[in-house]
Amino acid sequence: MAHEHKHGHDHGHNHGAEPEQPLPVEQLDAAGKSLADAFRISFTILKIIMIVLIVAFLASGFRTVDPDERALVLRFGKIRGIGDGAILGPGPHWVFPYPIEEIVRIPVEKNINLAVNTFWYKETRDDILGAGVKPRNFRAEKLDPMVEGYCLTRSQAGGPVGAGPDVAAQLIKDSEGSDYHIVHTKWQINYQIANVDQFFRNVYVRDVKPGQIYSDIMVASIAPLLRSVVDDAIVTTMVHYTIDEALQSVDTIPRRVQQLVQGKLEVLESGIRVVQMQLVSSTWPMQVDEAFQAFVEASQKSAKTITEARTYAETTLNTTGGQVAAPLCEALLDPNSDPQQREALWAQVTGDVQEIISRAQAYQTKIVEGARASANYLRSILPGYREQPTLVARELYLAAIREVLANADEKFILDTSNKAKNREVRILLNRDTQLKPKTNP
Amino acid sequence: MKNIAIPILIAVISIVMIVYLVTFQVRETESGFVTRFGKPVREVTRPGLYLKWPTPIEQVHKFDSRMRVLEAAQLAETTTRGNVPIIVNTYVVWRVAEPLKFLNAVKTEENAASKLRNHINDTQNRIIGRHSFGEFVNSDPTKIRFDEIQKEMLDDLKGPVQAEYGIEIKTLGIKQLNVSEDVTKKVFERMKAERQGRTDAITSEGEGMAIKIKAGANEVRDVLVNAAEARAKEIRGQGDADAAKYYKMLEEDPQLAIYLRNLETLKAISSRSTIVLPTDSDPWKLLMAMPSLGTEGSAKESATESQDTK
Repeated sequence: MAHEHKHGHDHGHNHGAEPEQPLPVEQLDAAGKSLADAFRISFTILKIIMIVLIVAFLASGFRTVDPDERALVLRFGKIRGIGDGAILGPGPHWVFPYPIEEIVRIPVEKNINLAVNTFWYKETRDDILGAGVKPRNFRAEKLDPMVEGYCLTRSQAGGPVGAGPDVAAQLIKDSEGSDYHIVHTKWQINYQIANVDQFFRNVYVRDVKPGQIYSDIMVASIAPLLRSVVDDAIVTTMVHYTIDEALQSVDTIPRRVQQLVQGKLEVLESGIRVVQMQLVSSTWPMQVDEAFQAFVEASQKSAKTITEARTYAETTLNTTGGQVAAPLCEALLDPNSDPQQREALWAQVTGDVQEIISRAQAYQTKIVEGARASANYLRSILPGYREQPTLVARELYLAAIREVLANADEKFILDTSNKAKNREVRILLNRDTQLKPKTNP
Repeated sequence: MKNIAIPILIAVISIVMIVYLVTFQVRETESGFVTRFGKPVREVTRPGLYLKWPTPIEQVHKFDSRMRVLEAAQLAETTTRGNVPIIVNTYVVWRVAEPLKFLNAVKTEENAASKLRNHINDTQNRIIGRHSFGEFVNSDPTKIRFDEIQKEMLDDLKGPVQAEYGIEIKTLGIKQLNVSEDVTKKVFERMKAERQGRTDAITSEGEGMAIKIKAGANEVRDVLVNAAEARAKEIRGQGDADAAKYYKMLEEDPQLAIYLRNLETLKAISSRSTIVLPTDSDPWKLLMAMPSLGTEGSAKESATESQDTK
């Protein structure tokens, strides 16, 4: 009680501007006095609460926008500002507290991935973990559309490439012109929120419950819409391509899908931008695995055969004529080719051709030089010979015989006189092992 | 101060309460309408702050006006023109466009979804029945009418749904295009046959190409070798012709020239040989007896003799 009184008294003192007030209080009875005290106290508390509330109210208007976010302010539910002016960048912002204004923060910088496995075969747990012996869930003959995903692709126009016209015609007849193939594809889309304003207004995002993160809810909420749009684009695109183009992951396929997805998202005014569309993987159905494997093998083998043939061709040309073999051949076959140019090519030729020519040139040199030497020799000895023909001839003869016999390995001289007339002579001729082999006589 | 503060406080609170009672907000993501004594009086499709009579008199109904996705509940088989079975799955993106109509016709989103599904299935079966399978997939891409079919379905669905339920269909698409399980078997058989054909084709193509490449190279080689040989012949001929000039010079004494030539040849071919000679030839005669020297005639005789033997 004493405490309350003291408090009241202090209060009175503090408000010295109202001196008459304490007097009637003194005159009141104890009950009235405590009632007045209670009023005063509650009023003070109320005032403090009010100030705290106002401060809290104003302080609650502060919001920080993260660097990867953009924000919109809703004033009475309507987006404040127009166009880019409506979007708040990263940093602290103050808005009137709810219910006057409301801030909506949306992550924009983040690239979000969404895997699209709608068109992939059903993978068992073992398939995914790679523990299974068979990598793919094998079904003997059929593909259940309720379980397995796939795309239809068109077949090659005019039947398969390279097949005979009969086969192509038969295939077309069988399918009545709507020949198609089945292929499994796996995709991934990478997207971003590009237009915050459109996105907020048009794309359904579930309410965020306490404990949940907005961006998680946002991604989960976008998924069904995006999946549908992407699936649609993929189905539409794939029927325009062949299975081979799909298997080779021709890069026009994801580009076309991306265009379709982006186009549709723009029609929907979703504010979503496709950053990248990827055809992650594509494969033929397991049911036709054998035939496709055989084809791949045949392709590789065929490529190898061709490469080998090219190598052979290159080697042949090189050994025949070197670098200029092909141009020289061309020039030779072309009756209109420039003779000067042809000569220039002959000069550069190497290999077998060059050898043939140089052998001929060597022959030319040898025969001409030999003839000249003989002629000169004849001329040089002719004057002497004319003077004493027998002596010169004999001298030459003996010189020649001397040389022949000197070079001979073995010499046998047989007695041809009558004494030896009926004698039989046997000579053992040893083939000289040093002699060149018979192949080159 | 106490006397002024309390009334102000009361006034502020009352104003806030009154404002709260007579206004309502419509967010950007919403649309709605106002009913007076249960009877709808006006639709509010634009966001902002609006006035209304306090609650018992006027009430506000709001709907989320953002886009929703809906797909046919399950994959169902349908047939194209020409009775080819096909499995398609169509989805639509829709939103509440006219809240009042929406409330009157379907009330809840779940209800709207089931009504829409029926419409989608109906449209899907009807429109697909009008097109042949070849317009979905075709080896000739110009015959594919996929986009047109989707557009036709959208046009078919859009009008009635908006008129009946106040639902706007933003877009429609086929998100799955499959064939029935039994058909896949045939498709696989065809794919195998086609692949087999191409396997054979590519093998023979490769071999053919390889043969062509090799033949081409061989041809070049033959052309070059033949040309080179012709050229070589020319060069040899030139050599022979040049040599002939010198042979002319030998004509001064053909006999001697032939003799010299024979000696040259003898020397050239007789190296490393075994020679068997009779003792009556020169100079081996010396081994048998001393010759009679002094007469010129005998020397001359023997020279001519040796010339004759060669």
